[in-house]
Amino acid sequence: MLTQWELERYSRQIEVLGKEGQEKLKNAKVAVVGVGGLGSPVAYYLAAAGIGTILLIDDGFPELSNLNRQILHWEEDVGKLSKPESAKWKLERFNSGIRVETFTGRLTRDNVEEILDGVDVVVDCLDNFEGRYVLDEYVHRRGIPLVHGAVEGTHGQVTTIVPGLTKSLREIFPKVRERKEKIPIIGATAGVVGSIQVMEVIKLLTGLGEPLLNKLLLIDLAFNVFEIVELT
Amino acid sequence: MRIKVRYFARYRSLIGKGEEEIEVPEGTTVGELVELLKERYPVLKNEVFADDDLADVNVSRNGRYVRFDEVLRDGDVVALFPPVSGG
Repeated sequence: MLTQWELERYSRQIEVLGKEGQEKLKNAKVAVVGVGGLGSPVAYYLAAAGIGTILLIDDGFPELSNLNRQILHWEEDVGKLSKPESAKWKLERFNSGIRVETFTGRLTRDNVEEILDGVDVVVDCLDNFEGRYVLDEYVHRRGIPLVHGAVEGTHGQVTTIVPGLTKSLREIFPKVRERKEKIPIIGATAGVVGSIQVMEVIKLLTGLGEPLLNKLLLIDLAFNVFEIVELT
Repeated sequence: MRIKVRYFARYRSLIGKGEEEIEVPEGTTVGELVELLKERYPVLKNEVFADDDLADVNVSRNGRYVRFDEVLRDGDVVALFPPVSGG
């Protein structure tokens, strides 16, 4: 049941999702894996939407050069808190009605079962495919959805993996060369892609609209490109 | 036959245009088209496509993801996009 406070806090989106939809968000646990450029807008909007429990996972600490895009980390956090802890204190002040859990460390094949246990949707905000394949394997073992996002410069991509319904991430991207150098990125690009990932989560949890199942959304904000590639 | 090739993201910047029409022999496969483009644009060969593995480029044909052994037809629209990994 939603409280009077929740009915007011979420009133403008309850018009879209219904009270039932809002309750589904409240009862959900969503993992944000990577609390950087994508993870910042993703965690922020998940918190705004009233996702009941948000699990933040990252092994890094905010650096000054992160702040052009990682908007959940502020100058005062640099060198002090881990990224999950830095994000947690803001999100809890932003929305006192949700739970924010953290894991500061790297997800591996050895710890993923334990750390992601009980999660309903996994959001991929990582910056490497090695970690993404760990998530891909996990969601296929558990039969839960994975919302993939990736960005570089002014472009990005989003697709949603649902075991049994869609191709796996590894089938779509069987081999990606890891880039050793720092990847250039304009913060707003991550804002756009992360916002779309949050819409995917809301659609998956409430049944609203159509998630990007077997569809890869490609975006290039420099050239106003929004393109869908059918993956079937 | 004529094929329209569209370049996305990093490829677009490297090549300097978003799309073009090119003439290819009948029976050309997706993989052969990629090879042809590497010859036409050495910058792709050096900076983007791994020499030993075509999987480093993603290709769609008429809006659908394709494998490299598919044979192209006149009028096809082929899009090339790089895998993106940042977060």
